[in-house]
Amino acid sequence: MSKKHKISLTEEQLVLSLRNHEKVAIEALYDMYSASLYGVISRIVIDTAIAEDVLQETFVKIWHSFSSYSTEKGRLFTWMINIARNLAIDKIRSKDFRNQNKNQEIENNVTSIDEQNSTIYKPELMGVKDLVQTLKPEQKSIIDLVYFKGYTHVEAADELGIPLGTIKTRLRMGIQELRKHFN
Amino acid sequence: MEDIKAYIESGILELYVLGDVTPDERLQVEAMALKHPAIKAELDAIERSMELYAKENEIEPSEELRHRVLGSILTNFGDDNNFPQKAVPHKTNVVSLPPRKEPNFYKYAFAASLALLVASGVALISVYSRLQQSNTQLITLQLQNQHFTNRVNLLDREISVFRDPSYKLLKLEGTAKNPALAVTVAFSPARKKVLIDMQNVKLPQNDKDHQYQLWALVGGKPVDLGVFDAPADTSQMKEMKSIARADAFAVTLEPKGGSINPTMDQMVVLGKF
Repeated sequence: MSKKHKISLTEEQLVLSLRNHEKVAIEALYDMYSASLYGVISRIVIDTAIAEDVLQETFVKIWHSFSSYSTEKGRLFTWMINIARNLAIDKIRSKDFRNQNKNQEIENNVTSIDEQNSTIYKPELMGVKDLVQTLKPEQKSIIDLVYFKGYTHVEAADELGIPLGTIKTRLRMGIQELRKHFN
Repeated sequence: MEDIKAYIESGILELYVLGDVTPDERLQVEAMALKHPAIKAELDAIERSMELYAKENEIEPSEELRHRVLGSILTNFGDDNNFPQKAVPHKTNVVSLPPRKEPNFYKYAFAASLALLVASGVALISVYSRLQQSNTQLITLQLQNQHFTNRVNLLDREISVFRDPSYKLLKLEGTAKNPALAVTVAFSPARKKVLIDMQNVKLPQNDKDHQYQLWALVGGKPVDLGVFDAPADTSQMKEMKSIARADAFAVTLEPKGGSINPTMDQMVVLGKF
C-alpha cells in the first residue's frame, strides 16, 4: 500500500473542508480513517463483501449527515466510529444478513460464530505487539468487546460471566493503560 | 471539584467514548464537557487514546474499495455542486419572463376587449337598422293588408248585392238625345237601398259647376236620391239615398249640389220597372 498518494489533513482542516463539502475532504477522510473504521467493521461483520458495503455506507452517511457533527461533541473519530459500529451492528441484525447466514454451510457458520464470539487475541487482526504487554488480557477482551464489537458493558458482563462492577473497573483501568502507553 | 473528580472516576467518560451510553447519558456527558474544561480535557485524552488504539487495530480495506466509496460519494458530490449552480441562471431566466408576460397579457386582453366592444357596437347598429327596416316593412304590409281587407269587404258587399235576391238591377238607358248613355242601378225595396254601379256609368264628364242627380219616380213624382260625378272616382257601388218604392229611375244633369226638382230637359238616362 503506497502511502505517499494518501491525503492527510489536520482534524481542524478536515472538519472545515467537510463542512464546505469540498471534494478533497472526503478523499482525505477516507485516506485517514478508512482502515481504522474498517478494522471495527471487520470485527463485527465477518464477510468481507458485506464489511466493504458497510464501510461504503459509513462514508456515505458521514458525508451526508456531517452537518449533525460539531466539534463540541468531541473528536471527529469518536463520532465516525459510532456511525461505523452502529451500521455494522444494524447489518448483522438485519433480516437480509440473517437470511444469508442461514444459507451458509454449517462449517462456515461454526467458524463465523467462533470468530464473532472469540475474545482471544488474534495477531492477524491486531498486528500490535507492544500492546500485548500494555494491556492485561482481561482488560483487552472487555475493551475489544465494547469498542470493536459494539457490546454494551452489561452484555460484556453476561458474555464473560464477570460482575458489572468488575467490568467497569477493568474498562477504565485498561483505558488508563492505553493512555499511558500512547503518551 | 470533588464532584468533577467523582464524575471522571465514575467511568462514564470511557463508556461515552466506547459508544456505550444511552442518548440521555450522551447529552449529559456533552453538556458536562462544555461546562467543565477538566472533563473536556479528560474526555479528549480518552478519545485520543482510543483513536490511536483503533489505529493500532486498523485493517486496510482493498484499494478497489477506495474508488468505489469515493466514486459513490463524488457522483452525488457532482450533482450537489452542479445543480444549484445551474439552477441560479435558470431561475433568473424564469423570473425575468413573467414581468414581460403579464403586461403583454393585459395589453392583449385590453385590445381584445376593445375589439370585441367595437364589433358588438357595429353588430348592434346593424341589427338596429335591420329592425327599423323590418318595422317599416311591417307597417307597409299592415297598411296593404288593411287596404286589401277594406277592398275585400267592399267587394263582398258588392257581391252580396248581386247575390241578394231582393235587389233588382235596372239599366237606365239614354234618352232620345243620346241613346248611347247608360247607368245601372240596383234597388232593394225590402232594404230600402239604392246603389249605382259606378263601373258601368256611361255618362259624359260633368264640369265643375254641375253634377248628375239620381231621381226616383214615385207615383209620377220625382224624389231626390243624391248626386254623383262622372267619370266616377271609384269603381264601387255607390249607395244613394234610401227609398222604399220606385216606379222608375232617372238621372239629370243639375247644378252642383243638386236641385229640388229635376230639370227635365237635362235628363240623360231613364229606366222603368
